[in-house]
Amino acid sequence: MSLNVINNATCTFCGCVCDDIQLHFDETRIHEAKKACVLGKAWFLNHTADHEYPDALIDGHEATVDEAIEAAATFLHDAHMPLIYGLSNTTCEAQREAVSLADRLGGLLDSHTSL
Amino acid sequence: MYWGGNPAECHPRHFTKYTLMQKSKFLPRGRKDRTMILVDIRETKSGGAADIFLQIRPGKDFEVLTILRAILKGQHVNESAIAETGLTLEQLTDFIDRAKKAKFGCMFFGMGLSMTRGKHMNSAALLTLAAELNAFTKFVAMPMRGHGNVTGADVIMRWQTGFPFGITFNRGYPRYNPGEFSTVDVLVRGDTDAALILGADPGATMPQPAIDHLARIPTIVLDPKVTHTSRLARVHITTSVAGISAPGTAYRMDEIPLPLKPALKSPYPTDQEVVRRINEAVARKSHWIPDGGPMTILQR
Ligand code: SF4
Repeated sequence: MSLNVINNATCTFCGCVCDDIQLHFDETRIHEAKKACVLGKAWFLNHTADHEYPDALIDGHEATVDEAIEAAATFLHDAHMPLIYGLSNTTCEAQREAVSLADRLGGLLDSHTSL
Repeated sequence: MYWGGNPAECHPRHFTKYTLMQKSKFLPRGRKDRTMILVDIRETKSGGAADIFLQIRPGKDFEVLTILRAILKGQHVNESAIAETGLTLEQLTDFIDRAKKAKFGCMFFGMGLSMTRGKHMNSAALLTLAAELNAFTKFVAMPMRGHGNVTGADVIMRWQTGFPFGITFNRGYPRYNPGEFSTVDVLVRGDTDAALILGADPGATMPQPAIDHLARIPTIVLDPKVTHTSRLARVHITTSVAGISAPGTAYRMDEIPLPLKPALKSPYPTDQEVVRRINEAVARKSHWIPDGGPMTILQR
């Protein structure tokens, strides 16, 4: 079985963000991450494309993404002082959306940096 | 120079890829052309890579930095003050001599400096020392960032709001005040009444009173896994993993943006898509200021 290869892939596990990783992968998982360190290898090899977790949960019960988005919007809109926090293990594109949402909500916005 | 960090175990390729081993035009012999000093309260694995290891007493970072600044300015330093730090005057003077003689110095500081006694005052002292060394040679300082794209969070927030973190929009424009608007403080005081958490798991890392408050209020979590925080949240949405199954951009700790090249296809939506859709859903509701008019998607 031949594996697909991506050259110069980017590892986001730690702040080094090494961008020289060679990934060997098939449909469901990454089999090899050349040049990555032990932490990076574990990061790449531990994830699969499987549907391991429910799409969404509301109060611990499985729900659709649409329902969960609506519930989230309602909770945030109803709040007097909503907070958006985290933003570390995600992309800049998502961070930008989060800033926009905090602005719209008139809420708080904060990242790991403040810890 | 590394201060209060253990890159050998936390940022394993930092030495080889960036700071110590690379050969360059001005440093053709790579490692041999460089000097590495490690400052910490105990010897870690990183000690093996260092030319000089300075073991200081726990909680004395600020004092050591202040003494170094005094020596740099040629001021007299009290012997008893030096004795308290766990170092000798020779070691401290040697440090300053080497720093002044360097062609280009870089200080990396970790949580051993910024999260121990003194906290941001420690970081400020180190940054001041780096700034003052510029009277003699080129010197810079940089924090060793942990989680993948936390640098990106700083950069994006600075770009969009003018501030890096600890922001509120509650007057309709961004204001910044760590301690007042930073998450742990807000949660421990019980100020906030709903939370959206993404790309973080405060349920596993924050102090217990903060976690308790997250469990009291409606918390919404976006994460590739069902996390500790998800278990106490009202809403959890599974999202794809940045860099593995979600495309986008991430910032390296020196603020270089790098494109992600995901190898896998995820059955889940990306954080970006979910946040955008929550934003659109909120936009369909009434404005939070009664006379603010209908919400429009202005910033897209
Ligand atoms: S390969 Fe290792 S050093 Fe590089 S970003 Fe990944 S975890 Fe960090």
